[in-house]
Amino acid sequence: MVERWRLLDTGLNDAFYNMALDEAIVIARSKGIVPNTLRFFRWDPSSVSIGYFQSMEEEVDIEACNRLGIDYVRRRTGGGAVYHDREGELTYSLIINEDHRLISKDFQKTYETLCLGLVKGLRLLGVPAEFKPINDIVVNGKKISGNAQTRGMNVVHQHGTILRNVDPTLMFTVLNVPSEKIRDKMIKSVEERVTSVEKYLGRDVSFEELKSALIMGFKESFDIELSSGEITDFEKQTALKLKREKYSTREWNFRR
Amino acid sequence: MFRSEYKVEGGKMIKVQLNKDDGRICAIKITGDFFMHPEELIEDLERSLIGCPLDETIIIETIRNFIEVRGMTLLGVAPEDFARCIIKAGEGIG
Repeated sequence: MVERWRLLDTGLNDAFYNMALDEAIVIARSKGIVPNTLRFFRWDPSSVSIGYFQSMEEEVDIEACNRLGIDYVRRRTGGGAVYHDREGELTYSLIINEDHRLISKDFQKTYETLCLGLVKGLRLLGVPAEFKPINDIVVNGKKISGNAQTRGMNVVHQHGTILRNVDPTLMFTVLNVPSEKIRDKMIKSVEERVTSVEKYLGRDVSFEELKSALIMGFKESFDIELSSGEITDFEKQTALKLKREKYSTREWNFRR
Repeated sequence: MFRSEYKVEGGKMIKVQLNKDDGRICAIKITGDFFMHPEELIEDLERSLIGCPLDETIIIETIRNFIEVRGMTLLGVAPEDFARCIIKAGEGIG
C-alpha cells in the first residue's frame, strides 16, 4: 500500500500569511484533519525572515526594508536571517507526524533524512547537491539551500529555501552587517559561498521545472506518492487568525 | 548593557546582552542563529541565569542542569559556547 501525502502549491503570499499558514498546517496535522504535507510557496513582496532566537533590530536593516517595500517576519523555527526574493527563491515546508518512519528522535538525523528529498530532486536537475550538517545543502561547497526544523504538537515542521537565482547585493542591503566598511566584502564573499540552480546550470530554470524535479526527489527519497490538494477551510481560517494575532504583530516580530 | 558576540566552531552565532551587579548576572538576553527545542524555553533559560556569578564553570553547570531538568535539546551550540559568550560580555568591554 503506497503512502499518500498532500502536495500544496500556495503560490505568492506575504510573509505574515506564509508563516501563519505553515503553523496552521501544523495545527491541522496535529488534529489529524490533514495528511502529511509538502508545501511550495513564494514571497510577495520579497521579505526577510529571522530565526526564533534572533533580534529583529540587530539582524535587519528596518529602514532599508521600509524604503524598498520588503516585509520582515520572525519564524517559529530557529536558524538565521534569510532574504526571500520574490523571483529568486522557492520555499518549501514539510509537515509530518512525529511518529512517522522518516522521523528520528535525533534532530540532526532528521534534517539529513528530510533534506535528502531536496538533494535527490536537485540531482535529477543535474545539480550535484550534497547535505551539509547542520542544516544546509551545498553544491561544490557553495550553499544552495538552508533549512530549519521544529517540533511540537507531535508534528515535525521543516521549512527551507532553494535558490533559483541569487542577488547578494540586495541580500546585504536588507540584512545588517557589522560595519558599512565590510558590506562590499560580504557581498563578494556571498558570491563565493552561495550558488543557485541557474548559476550552477548556466541556463534559465523556471519555478515549474524546479518544483517538478523536487517533487520527484521527495517521492523517490521518501517512498511516497504526492497528490495535489488544497488547503482546508480550517487551515485558511487558522492562518488568517495567526497572521492577524501573531505574525503581523510588533509584539511577535520584535520580541527579541 | 554589556554585549558580546561569539561564533561557534561550525558557524552558528551567539550574541549576549547582559547587566551585572557585584559580579553576578542581573539581566540577560541571548540571541543568535542556533537551534533550541522547545524554542519557548529560551526565556526560562535566561531567567535561570539571573543571580548566577560570572564564572564560566558555574554558568556551564547551570545551563547543563537546566537542559537536564527541562528536557531541552540544543543544536549547533553547546552550553560551553553560551558560557564563553556570557563571560566575554561580563568582562564588560562592551
